[in-house]
Amino acid sequence: MQLTRESLARMIDHTELKSHSGEKKIKSLCDEAKAFCFYCVCVNPIYVPLSSELLQGSDVLVCSVVGFPLGSTPGRIKAQEARQAVAAGAREIDMVIHVGALKDKQYDRVQDDIRAVVAASQPHPVKVILETCYLTDEEIVRGCELAVEAGARFVKTSTGFGAFGAFEDHVRLMRRTVGPDIGVKASGGVVNFKDAWRMIQAGADRLGTSAGVAILEGYTLHKFAPSAWLLPEIPCHNCPSRHAKLDKLPKGLYTYYKKRCRTCEHLETYNRFYD
Amino acid sequence: MHGWMGKIRKIDLSTGRQEDLEIDDDLRRRYLGGRGLGVKLYTELCDEKTDPLSPENALIFLTGPLTGAVLTGGRYQIVSRSPLTTTICDSSSGGTFGAALKRTGLDGLIITGKADQPRYLHVTDDGIEVKDAAHLWGKDTPATKRALLDETSSKASVASIGPAGENQVLFAAVMNDKDRAAGRGGLGAVMGSKNLKAVVVNGTQNVVVADPEGLGELSAFLDRLVDKNPVTGKSLQVLGTSVLVNVINAHGMYPTENFRRGVFNDAEGTSGEKIAETILKAKSACYRCPIACGRTTRTPNKAGEGPEYESVWAFGAQLLVSDLVSITEANYRCNELGLDTISCGNTIGCAMELSELGLLPEKISWGDAGRVRRLVEDIAYRRGFGGELALGSKRLSEKYQRPELSMQVKGLELPAYDPRGVQGQALSYATSNRGGCHMRAYVIGPEILGQPCFMDRFSTAGKAEIVVLLQDISACVDSLGLCRFLQFAMGVDTFKKMLNLVTGLDFTEEELITIGKRIYTLERLFNTKAGLTRKDDSLPPRFLNEKLEEGASRNRLVKLDEMLDPYYRLRGWDEDGVPREETVRELQI
Repeated sequence: MQLTRESLARMIDHTELKSHSGEKKIKSLCDEAKAFCFYCVCVNPIYVPLSSELLQGSDVLVCSVVGFPLGSTPGRIKAQEARQAVAAGAREIDMVIHVGALKDKQYDRVQDDIRAVVAASQPHPVKVILETCYLTDEEIVRGCELAVEAGARFVKTSTGFGAFGAFEDHVRLMRRTVGPDIGVKASGGVVNFKDAWRMIQAGADRLGTSAGVAILEGYTLHKFAPSAWLLPEIPCHNCPSRHAKLDKLPKGLYTYYKKRCRTCEHLETYNRFYD
Repeated sequence: MHGWMGKIRKIDLSTGRQEDLEIDDDLRRRYLGGRGLGVKLYTELCDEKTDPLSPENALIFLTGPLTGAVLTGGRYQIVSRSPLTTTICDSSSGGTFGAALKRTGLDGLIITGKADQPRYLHVTDDGIEVKDAAHLWGKDTPATKRALLDETSSKASVASIGPAGENQVLFAAVMNDKDRAAGRGGLGAVMGSKNLKAVVVNGTQNVVVADPEGLGELSAFLDRLVDKNPVTGKSLQVLGTSVLVNVINAHGMYPTENFRRGVFNDAEGTSGEKIAETILKAKSACYRCPIACGRTTRTPNKAGEGPEYESVWAFGAQLLVSDLVSITEANYRCNELGLDTISCGNTIGCAMELSELGLLPEKISWGDAGRVRRLVEDIAYRRGFGGELALGSKRLSEKYQRPELSMQVKGLELPAYDPRGVQGQALSYATSNRGGCHMRAYVIGPEILGQPCFMDRFSTAGKAEIVVLLQDISACVDSLGLCRFLQFAMGVDTFKKMLNLVTGLDFTEEELITIGKRIYTLERLFNTKAGLTRKDDSLPPRFLNEKLEEGASRNRLVKLDEMLDPYYRLRGWDEDGVPREETVRELQI
């Protein structure tokens, strides 16, 4: 695909979601979003009014997270959060699914949540955060299907607060599942242009990151040394199985990932004596 | 004129004659200032036949267009021919000296000749006075600074040499302000060879900025970029450069015992974390720097600045010394005597290995911190065996017929990253125009820290490209007058914005990269004329033939041959590393 600095900037949701971020950071975030023409700023609900005021008259939208970061609040509360955010000026909503329900195969509960938020956010798009780090591939596929059926306009990988963030394997799987008409947002751990490029190649059309400026600076730099950024890498470097850690994941999921390592097509080439 | 002050003063210490040098717009546009303009002016004044320690050698102090105008803009560059390497050399330092020099209305000074007796230069708005320094000769750098501030003004900024520079130790540093060093390449010895003890600058003029309002708006954004970056906004601020001790050791490439090992068992006890828990008094910052990577420390006996990462290593793991207090005090003493800590510690490490093999007339044991302290002193005063060490590790190892035990490139001692663990940094070391140095291209950024993006440290793929790019950007940043740590937080887009707001000109990103290329190739042309060839773009055989036996870089060797030819091709140099005619033409050198 033909990527320009401008088109890259319009893929970025400029994000500030840390619990300790104050108004000063939100103001800087909005200033940068305007200066660099990012698509939107992604903030906690408490900062939607301020962000809307700061971005008034610009092309930059405000996106609010909902049920963030655990996704464990009741659907009606998520819906209320979304309604309030939209009333305060949010034009996109990023909601976290009920991850536990998905893993328990309580698909109705998952969908009820999403439907409630979609209804409360009308006419604005809802992105559904799956928190892929806690899901198997089968669960990711099912989560995507449920989200699309419930009216979501995007599926999104991660909150950035889970065991790990976005991996291109997951993005690719999500894109394959939702098809070309639904958006895929990669978020969590996208910190430079190389990460961004990998996600876009895997099928992401939106990036959630607090490193938007660094990504654009990297875009400029990569033109002077393209191979440093774009050469294929050892697959294990960017594989969720490789990055799965027992202290961060439930034991079942950890075992699932390590089993995948043992049956990986790259086992003989890279993974046997991988340093 | 915006950004530049518009005047460079040339002074001949032999005759006392002074003249102002006109720098035309075109030259400024093509070389900016600092390192770039310094190298250009140097190559017009001197050639490959110039003896570095002769009166004919020029010693150039230069600032850049952003010096004194933006964050971290306190820097200046000294350009000359190195007596240690005989390559062209520039050495950069922070503090406030660069900004203070510019306040005198000058962009820089070109010093030639040799004074008949010790002198210092007093530079003010009214001009330059050559003053007697006989009473300062023999004093260490803090004492020199105190005396000169008393004699001139407490608001002045001082760059001076210590006893090491006076005695022309080949790795003598020029020290400025409070323990800031233009450390590498022995330019303090060049200063000493001219009988020049110090340069004192004290002016009142301001840098005129083309768009002060725009620059004001940008400043808040720059501060945020610095703050957001994990290296500049967290690691360097909280733990200083010594944050790297544990990181590099964990990667198995923390040079230990003269680079025989890549893991130092006592690294934790000499780390940035340990400094913070024990000897740290306060953080310190250079001129308008939001990072403040400097450490003001106190041992039971003394107080001072540092040690920063390279010095912790040079007097620690390199010599198998585990005692943080001893390391810190050796670092203090180097600052006072005016010695480059990297070359000093590295050379002592070479001596320890030679001694272990029974090749030296005296015994110097690994880990003997007391002996290290005495050797530092002997080196600066060229006393006894210290006189041999004062010539650097290359000459020392050659004298004892084991040149392979000197861990240097082109005569400059290597810093604290074992190249076997980082292929790109290895190429950067080998092709550095001033010798074994991590600052020509800090490939540790992508290979270890993931800045600006992660690259596989053991792979050679893409390394020629990234080394060329980082060398070019670094040459450009050195010529702007900025601290290189900013490269973690911002890229060429932001440097361009700063430059255009300050100068009112319309530089592009491509132009800045081309300027870097031009500077790098011009330096290379000088070295080529001086007789350096492909064979000098190499590394000590230890890195090419001996595998590390433990740690996360075990069983690795540098694969230099895979990277050197692609590097030359990208540079537009021939297979012997000589810039092709068409390259020189295209770069308008």
